[in-house]
Amino acid sequence: MRFTITRQNLNEGLTAVSASISTKTTLPILSNILFRAAEEGVLEMSGTDLDVSVRLRVPAQVDEPGTLTAPGKKLLEIAKELPDEPVQVQTRADQIELRCGRAHFKLNGLPAEDFPALPSVSFDGGWTASGKDLLSLIRHTSFAVSTEETRPVLNGVLWELRDGEMRMVATNGHRLARMRIPAGPSLETTAQLIVPPAALQQVQRLFNAEDELRVSRDGNHLGFRSERTEVYTRLIDGTYPNYEQVIPKDNDRFALVERKPLESAIRRVAAVASDQTHRIRLQFGNDRVELNVLTPDLGEAHDEIPVSWEGDGLEIGFNANYLLEVLRYVGTDEVKLGFKAPERAATVEPVHAEDAPGMDYLCLVMPLRLVD
Amino acid sequence: MPGAAFHGPTPMNRHRSILLVDCDTFFVQVARLEDPQGAGRAPLLMVGGSAEGRGVVTSADYRVREHGVRSGMPMARAVELCPEAMVVPVPRDACLRRSRAVRAVLDRVAPVVQAASIDEFYLDLTGTERLFEGAPLEATAHRIRERILDEAEITVSIGGGTTRLVAKLAVERAKPAGAHIVAPGQEEAFLRSHPVGAIPGIGPVFLEKLAERGIRSVEELLAVEPEWLARWFGAERASWLRDRARGIDPSPVDAGTERKSISSERTFARDLEAPERLAAELHRAVLEVGGGLRRRGLGARTVTVKIRDHDFRTRQASRTLALPVASDRAIFRVARELLDELRARRPVPVRLLGVGLSSLEGEGPALQLELPVTGGDDPVGIESEADLSLAKAADALRKRFGRDALVPGRILERPGSMGRRDTHEPEEEG
Repeated sequence: MRFTITRQNLNEGLTAVSASISTKTTLPILSNILFRAAEEGVLEMSGTDLDVSVRLRVPAQVDEPGTLTAPGKKLLEIAKELPDEPVQVQTRADQIELRCGRAHFKLNGLPAEDFPALPSVSFDGGWTASGKDLLSLIRHTSFAVSTEETRPVLNGVLWELRDGEMRMVATNGHRLARMRIPAGPSLETTAQLIVPPAALQQVQRLFNAEDELRVSRDGNHLGFRSERTEVYTRLIDGTYPNYEQVIPKDNDRFALVERKPLESAIRRVAAVASDQTHRIRLQFGNDRVELNVLTPDLGEAHDEIPVSWEGDGLEIGFNANYLLEVLRYVGTDEVKLGFKAPERAATVEPVHAEDAPGMDYLCLVMPLRLVD
Repeated sequence: MPGAAFHGPTPMNRHRSILLVDCDTFFVQVARLEDPQGAGRAPLLMVGGSAEGRGVVTSADYRVREHGVRSGMPMARAVELCPEAMVVPVPRDACLRRSRAVRAVLDRVAPVVQAASIDEFYLDLTGTERLFEGAPLEATAHRIRERILDEAEITVSIGGGTTRLVAKLAVERAKPAGAHIVAPGQEEAFLRSHPVGAIPGIGPVFLEKLAERGIRSVEELLAVEPEWLARWFGAERASWLRDRARGIDPSPVDAGTERKSISSERTFARDLEAPERLAAELHRAVLEVGGGLRRRGLGARTVTVKIRDHDFRTRQASRTLALPVASDRAIFRVARELLDELRARRPVPVRLLGVGLSSLEGEGPALQLELPVTGGDDPVGIESEADLSLAKAADALRKRFGRDALVPGRILERPGSMGRRDTHEPEEEG
């Protein structure tokens, strides 16, 4: 294999692919990147950790077709520091040789045959999703996935396609995020996929809002493809719990509140909260919410901010971190909080200006029990 | 004076003084006390389930043990070995009463008392030297023995040393009705006289691995270069091993952590294989441990299911949850999955089934409520408010109308049998 590539293209390809390869693997081949020069003018680079795989096509002048694998992180370290000149790459048996200006490197590689085959996902039966929609769905939900190993399905983000909508949902049992986006008339596919967040991270990293993505499921794998980039992932097995049933429909007390002042107040009083529970108390009533913290051995804090409140008064406890997290993702200047009772799920939703395009986004946060 | 440096009044005394008080054949002693005319007169006595009901030996007196009888052995086999012995059931209530009486004595003599099981108590006497007028630890141990015999009518053996590990091994030397104290500085020499299997925490699998490397005694273990141990077993385990072999054990006597687990198990009169019968037995065990858990105001993070197959192979599976659970429903969900896993691996008739709860936590810090995200194919580990309220309501009913007032349909076919379960408090008799 022999090709010439600009430093920028080499660096871009390596940066994209090397993030998908394992750093602590027992299989040396998995820390390598697969190079494949088969077509005129195109170099393909692939990396995988066996769960998530990435393939990128970058422009290169191919002088002699071929394949080889070489250590990804080492190549990236080199490519970052090369001068801005064309890089000549050549293989000799299992070695890869780089020349750029007066710099010259030889790295030991491994034969391409040893590299695991990337999942073969046919894109014939897939669907199209706009990068903008997909990235927004991922950003607003994937933070909420569970990291506990006791319920594997909750370690993934649920991606549903149905009723002309794309939905993503994630929860760890303490909070839940759900976002829905109309998929337009083009989406006739119905699917329920549980996607590992690591794969969605790669999608976020490697695709842009302007990209039109082809997405397809093949058996237990899911593939994302744009013109130059492909991401494949194993799906999580199992059936996602019925999340609709935990979304409260009978919340009858609501607060409209400015997000930023609320966030600051929570952060202020939470400084005095317990390091374990991060518990704060919110007391909603006439036109204001009082925030209280009382932590034995540490101290107490009190603050209050104005809200527009509807319903009977309510005192409720929360883990301050969970509240802050969902407020950050909800993101609008004003947010709407909904409650039923101190031990029932609270809803947090964005409030959009009347002329602004809205997003259908809902977060749930389970309270902390107030025992003392 | 020998031993003075050990337990003497000198303020320079830095090492700990730990005793393990172990009631000798506790269940046998209590059975004799409870029935002085019957069991009390039997020269040979075994306590446990009946041979016909395929029960096991809970405890046997020392003379019966000379016939080869051991705790945990099927009673039928024990009767074969020692046909002249009398067999009586475990006097549960009396055992609890006597255990509390022993505990009451210990609470008066030691600042820190930790019950390791119904008949074993660790004491930390560090810093109490003046109270005992500077007596050597051995004399103190004997004094404690006499007081327990006086006030609770129970004979105990006492092991002592600077660590829990040493005290645990020493008490074996003390039995029956004696005291054995290992002086500070003598720990390693004392450990050297033991097989590695005597060290608590080395289970059968590890023991086998050690044996493969030719390590059977602590002596042999200490002869191996630490580097080799690290290479064979990993650095952490190797240093743990080295420490234990030299008698080093930093674990404290901690009155706060004494209840480590709650478990309930039962040996069936006939081996069970039908899934619905096993599920019913599992449910029954869950009700036992769940009720015990809630009575103590605790939640459990780890659920363990143990089965003994018809051929006496004992297997168990555990799962540790993100948050403690306390409701029967949540415990049963987890236990059911574990049972299914165990059965899938080896679907043979089952002789014994048990459920254990550990990683017990007070309800205090578990304030975070959960979304009841159930359904799908994976409802494990999440306990809804409804589950908990239901369990508490059931507890209230059972307290008022008796244990069988409310029984799940699954186990209804044998009402009244819940009371015959073998509920083990943390560990078996030592």
